[in-house]
Amino acid sequence: MAKSGWTVRDWIYVAVFGALWGVLEITLGSYLHVLFPPLADTFVVGLIMAGIGAIVALVGRWFVPKRWAVLAIGVVTTILKAFSLGGIVIGPMVAILAEALLMEFALWLRATPTRGLYILAGALAVSWNFFHKFIMMRILYGRSIVQVYTQMVKEGSKVLGIDVAYAVAIIVILFVFRLVVGGVAGWIGWDLGRLVGRRLARE
Amino acid sequence: MTLAVGGFRLNPISYLAFLVWTLGLVALLPDRSVGLLLVAVLGVGALSGGGGLRILARGRFWVTVVSIIVLSALLLGPRDVRLWVVPVSREGFLIGVWMAVRAVALMLAFAISLGALSIVETVRIFEAANLRGLGFALGVALNLGPVLRDAVEAAYHTIRLRGGFRRPIRAARLFLVTVIANALRYGDDVVKSATARAFDLEAKTDAAIAVGWADAVFLCVLVAGGAAILMLA
Repeated sequence: MAKSGWTVRDWIYVAVFGALWGVLEITLGSYLHVLFPPLADTFVVGLIMAGIGAIVALVGRWFVPKRWAVLAIGVVTTILKAFSLGGIVIGPMVAILAEALLMEFALWLRATPTRGLYILAGALAVSWNFFHKFIMMRILYGRSIVQVYTQMVKEGSKVLGIDVAYAVAIIVILFVFRLVVGGVAGWIGWDLGRLVGRRLARE
Repeated sequence: MTLAVGGFRLNPISYLAFLVWTLGLVALLPDRSVGLLLVAVLGVGALSGGGGLRILARGRFWVTVVSIIVLSALLLGPRDVRLWVVPVSREGFLIGVWMAVRAVALMLAFAISLGALSIVETVRIFEAANLRGLGFALGVALNLGPVLRDAVEAAYHTIRLRGGFRRPIRAARLFLVTVIANALRYGDDVVKSATARAFDLEAKTDAAIAVGWADAVFLCVLVAGGAAILMLA
């Protein structure tokens, strides 16, 4: 990770946003994982936590306008999550790192971020939630892609009220829904960064 | 972390290698051979002083393991057996047991590796990898946790007592702006303290991680053991 040109302030802001995301993961994330066990839920927890994480990391990028900043925030959050109390942290750790990497990838497209890039970064980050289930179910529980796909279609069918015969449509809707949530998170991240910046500038 | 046998010490890199080794084997092994891996992981856990195995005494750990088996029996496969009044699946139950064994091996490996690593050692790993800034950020973030929790609570109660939650979207925005602004203000105080102490991120530190013979032996055993488990699978 590049460090040249980074000031002490940059790293402390990375710490601030890493800690914020970490506090939310450790408190809200753990609580939601107890309410919705990973095996039974393929949707809710990841979506909520990915959305919130994307907002925090993208606001952080506003205050640390350097490449790799979002990934650095993600690494700090991942390690804080690793050292948090409670048993099962593998899934969230992989998710946080992957989301940070995807956001960083989107923000690499231009030297100066724009609202559009923030929306893309948010959408990519939250879209990881879709693939995360397939990868983690394979690694952690040894389940095949077909099994996860079947469960996702069944749950999606129940939530959306669409017959399981339209499996592809259900999967596409679930994926697009994640993209939309991520896009909204990116939009909010952009606005919040600007609002906080203005508020601090007034003082 | 000191190994009980012979009292020799392993460095953090060895524990990270053990974690990667477990992750690789969990991904490669078929269900029927995961038991062997679990035995190996338990062995390393016992040799490393048993600290990582403390997770086995936690209720939440067992709730997760049991929930994997119960949910599998209820959700996967045809429900061909009645347990009192609840129809369950034998196939789902067996799948659940294998999933639980796999999950236990992985969770134990994580607990053993992370139990052996302290924050100080993690920071040292970053510094040894020439990522001193990241190590510094991690140390600051760790100390920021309680401060941020207080900031979150204070902002929440202030907005609630002023009746802000009657307009939830506006309240949520105000809440986030307040929390982030307060966190950044605190961050600025940390910057001032660091500057006052002439803290220099580029200054050299003695962060080298020594690799001893115990690490070499441990890594050889991991490679040989992994190959043996894969051949037996």
